[in-house]
Amino acid sequence: MSTVDWKNYTPVLLPDIKDLHKIDVYTKNGGYKALKSVLTDKKKWEGPKAVIEEVKKANIRGRGGAGFNAGLKWSFMPPADGGPRYLACNGDESEPGTFKDRKIFEYNPHVFIEGALIAAYAMEITTIYVYIRGEYKTYIDMMEKAISDAYDKGYIGKNILGSTFSVDFYVHSGAGAYICGEETSMLESLEGKRGYPRVKPPFPAQKGLWGRPTTINNIETLSHVTGVINNGADWFSSIGAPTHPGPVLYGISGHVNNPGVYELPSGVPILDLIEVAGGMRNGKILKAIIPGGSSTPVLRADQLDGITMDSDSLRTVGSMLGTAGMVVMDEDTDMVDVLWRIAHFYHHESCGQCTPCREGTGWLEKILLKIKNGDGEVRDLDLLLDLTTQMEGRTICALADAAAWPVRFTINRFRDEFEARCKKKSHAVA
Amino acid sequence: MAYEFTKEDLQEIETIKAKYPEVMPATLPALWVAQRRFGHVEPEVQRLVAETLGLPEAHVHGVANFYTQYYKEKKGKHVLDVCTCLSCQLCGGYDILHHLEEKLGIKAGETTEDGTFTLNQVECLGACGYAPMLQVTNDKYVNHLTKEKADELVEKLKNGDELEYEQIKMPQHKNI
Amino acid sequence: MPEIFIDGHRYEFEGEHKVLQFIQDLGKEVPFFCYHPSMTAPANCRQCMVKAGQYMKSRETGEYEVDENGDRVIRWFPKLQTSCNLMAADGMVILTQETDEQVKRAQKDNLELILINHPLDCPICDQAGECPLQIQTYKYGPEGSRFEVKKVHKPKRIQLGPRVVLDAERCINCTRCTRFTQEISKTHQLTITSRGDKNYPTTAPGREFDDPYSLNTVDICPVGALTSADFRFKARVWEMNQTPSIDITNGKGTNIDLWTRDNLILRVTPRFNADVNDHWMPDAGREAYKIFNENRISRPQQKLDGEKVLSSWNNAIATLSEQIEDTDNTKILVIASPHASVEENYALNKYTNLLGLNTPVFTPHIEEGTGDGFLLSDDVAPNTNGCRLLGFKELNKSGICKEIQKAELVLILNDNLVDRSVITADQLKNKFVAVFATNNSETSEVADLVIPITTAAEHAASYVNVDGRIQRTYRAKETKYTNRRIDLEMSEGRLDRYGTNFDNWVTEDNKIDCMPMWEIVNNLADATGIDINFRGGREIMDEIASSVSNFSGVSFAAMDEHAGIQLSIKKETSTSK
Repeated sequence: MSTVDWKNYTPVLLPDIKDLHKIDVYTKNGGYKALKSVLTDKKKWEGPKAVIEEVKKANIRGRGGAGFNAGLKWSFMPPADGGPRYLACNGDESEPGTFKDRKIFEYNPHVFIEGALIAAYAMEITTIYVYIRGEYKTYIDMMEKAISDAYDKGYIGKNILGSTFSVDFYVHSGAGAYICGEETSMLESLEGKRGYPRVKPPFPAQKGLWGRPTTINNIETLSHVTGVINNGADWFSSIGAPTHPGPVLYGISGHVNNPGVYELPSGVPILDLIEVAGGMRNGKILKAIIPGGSSTPVLRADQLDGITMDSDSLRTVGSMLGTAGMVVMDEDTDMVDVLWRIAHFYHHESCGQCTPCREGTGWLEKILLKIKNGDGEVRDLDLLLDLTTQMEGRTICALADAAAWPVRFTINRFRDEFEARCKKKSHAVA
Repeated sequence: MAYEFTKEDLQEIETIKAKYPEVMPATLPALWVAQRRFGHVEPEVQRLVAETLGLPEAHVHGVANFYTQYYKEKKGKHVLDVCTCLSCQLCGGYDILHHLEEKLGIKAGETTEDGTFTLNQVECLGACGYAPMLQVTNDKYVNHLTKEKADELVEKLKNGDELEYEQIKMPQHKNI
Repeated sequence: MPEIFIDGHRYEFEGEHKVLQFIQDLGKEVPFFCYHPSMTAPANCRQCMVKAGQYMKSRETGEYEVDENGDRVIRWFPKLQTSCNLMAADGMVILTQETDEQVKRAQKDNLELILINHPLDCPICDQAGECPLQIQTYKYGPEGSRFEVKKVHKPKRIQLGPRVVLDAERCINCTRCTRFTQEISKTHQLTITSRGDKNYPTTAPGREFDDPYSLNTVDICPVGALTSADFRFKARVWEMNQTPSIDITNGKGTNIDLWTRDNLILRVTPRFNADVNDHWMPDAGREAYKIFNENRISRPQQKLDGEKVLSSWNNAIATLSEQIEDTDNTKILVIASPHASVEENYALNKYTNLLGLNTPVFTPHIEEGTGDGFLLSDDVAPNTNGCRLLGFKELNKSGICKEIQKAELVLILNDNLVDRSVITADQLKNKFVAVFATNNSETSEVADLVIPITTAAEHAASYVNVDGRIQRTYRAKETKYTNRRIDLEMSEGRLDRYGTNFDNWVTEDNKIDCMPMWEIVNNLADATGIDINFRGGREIMDEIASSVSNFSGVSFAAMDEHAGIQLSIKKETSTSK
């Protein structure tokens, strides 16, 4: 296995530059060069299609969790017909364990704005909305300021940098709903409705916001576009794991000494990443990790040898990269408690539209609470596993899957611990 | 009491409406304007928003009740939303919650008798690396909580002190 | 032609079809709750799962690809699909619960989940017996429940509006009701509130669900979450019989069903007719069930020395024929009625014709402002166009009054002219007034002779709506002279079928002592020595079709086959709004 040279990596999204969030500092450091290039360097960029091709080639796999090639997604947009077309930037990040996009809003908003503008040019978008979760009030204010500065400097608005390209850019604040991170639910929320995910087809590229072609990309994904345009697709795809390339914002939380967001290449070994975050807190022993947000299957410490943070490697042990928000758990962690809390989250956040999710998430939580309280029986574990099959793949969006996976994999991978808790009751009765 | 938007509010709502090709998308932002003005979006306020936007009242009601950040009833002057989700749970979020329950003499979901504090247990606020943490009245995050820090926060809020934005420096990895 | 393979059978299709609807149209079944053919398909109940795939076709030849065994190669969709929003495509392969265990299992799984928070209160629930959840649970559901934890509790017995009651715990969040107010009635009065398993439909706080079409949500609610405030707890559906009919309270001619128990009409529900009212009806028409039961005229009545007394049928007929014989033909005014059927009007007309009387007159019943551009017209009579097509003289208010002034004997066919202020009671003074009427009214009050006739619920007869469509009713309710067991066209409920007239649930008084207009005409003709012998609505319509060109081609059989027949009417006289 080739190892990724992450030790000599220098961050590009979140470099150590003072006041980079200020537009002048950003431009002084090469900011908006990429935008200028695609808009004015006709020799290098023969129109929007060329930009899409370059991004497709870079293979930026969506950083919101699904891991789909961003350029390929862009190419699904139908030809422009003169009507409005939208780019909806997904800054709803709400999956437990995920707290990376806020760093871009805070420290380098313009790298995102520039990436979004390039995306808009490439797809002939007329309006960009950035949907930010309502709890991020501070970052919403910061983004409003950054966008307004970019308008003032002529990077957004009519005839950007003297070109024929015009686009508007607005912030839309959420108001407390995890489901709005699901792309079609986000569109509903943007349209001013309850955040119910939409049935697909039609896909957003065909019928998105107000029935018009729309692309949805994650904030980090769009931020990478700027680097791809500046340095080329090959530069990007040579970083990190070959099948899931590029820099990744790893959010590391839980029982480590220095939790936080670290920008490193994809494919960093999980055990190294824990060391990057200062190692285990209080000298405790590692018990488990959740690699990429609460929905990604938990991994026991003994499964982690040689496993790296990219989709291919994680698949070999039955997990996923998700949002690369890694939660680290030490030896004292009660997996029953953890799983119950995750189930509580999905129960609370289910929009209630589809039967299996609306009813299933509540049932999962209630059984887990029973087990947590020592009233469970071993057969409850099998019921839980059964329920996950009744929920998975049966709903409009993936929230039911996201709720089912942790239950299935945590029970399967820590069955003894769950059974021990269930047997407490049997003893008490005896 | 009859609620009314100020001229500035109405202007802001017009600005909001201009961002979208239709009126309905203004529902969420207009509810925010209303909540900042009145401190909540009780049914009367929902009605005002519906009337102002010319949208069905039931629609505005349905939206207000879908999103947790809108206060469908009056809350305390300061709302402490303590995160207990996953990373915060692992790092002692429940200890902070229970400590605040004891200190304020209320259970999660309740408001102190003097109307100063409402205490809530909430889902992930996207500050997992800075757990345990809480958010004050839909605004500032207070990170890396300890019982002492929680006590200080309560005192600060009681004294009417402005909360500072806690900037968290970007950690740069060191070679290991 | 494109082809689709369902459970191993090949079907051809043209145009766009949702797979669920296509299967239903074949007379087959896939269980579902949220889908409704007249509204958008949100695919939220997740019940109508099928396994779907596509026969692979070779790009070069366009022929189906086959495997080594010679079987066609199928590319299955990775997940089960909801058939309600799956569009039929050429070469599509569908497996339903009939042929696929995985589908059967998925449907069972889903029903188990729907039921965990649904109260098990069928014995006291109005929906029981006509409940899609109950029916489909029997057919496709699990045998028991593994749910041993606490159910979610939600508001119960909420009066959402004047006519609709909500039990939120029974709600399965199919959103048919909210979609109805958004897409059909467009009042936008309902929304789903809260989130997740706390979801339920409601109005804005402090607002009533007073949508003029609100009761349709009760009809389409697939569980007992929305029930009718009026009908609640009145009858179990299996005790009633259901008879197709036409709404006679408005000119739109909405197709309805009358629900009868013990010869009382207990409720009215809409009956699908794509050309008239789709699946819907206004709440106003539902109240009409009362006019079939209450305040009915039973036995003829005659005024003797200013006192109303009950009379025998023989005496009533004799009295009227004497009056007719004693009065100069030119002094006899016959007022036909847009509130009576084509057959009733025709029968009366034939009689007066043969007597040599003037052609009957009539006056439309217009109530400005009633029309709503949907299922209500300003014309509130069910058969105004029928009177026109029969060639009666259409008069306005002053026209009628002028005619009355000239008359000594006035015959009024079921039209409450005094009540609706076309004429005053005073104008009828010193004239002999005979009315053929269904219900007591101010008009019948001033009459010298009141002859009770059958309502639309008691006879099979036709009405021409504001758009010129002729549609007919069926007998739903027995009179003193009819009998369900003999009349094969009458439907029977369980109580009608099992038991005798002596059972304690049979109330003889609910049968009205009245006769169809044409039988009364037969008797009058007999008394006057005229040869008329009508046998019933069906035969009368055949006679009309052959003698009145406007009605040529119309028959009960043709109306039954095509859910009514469009007649050609002069649009300028139409009062459709």
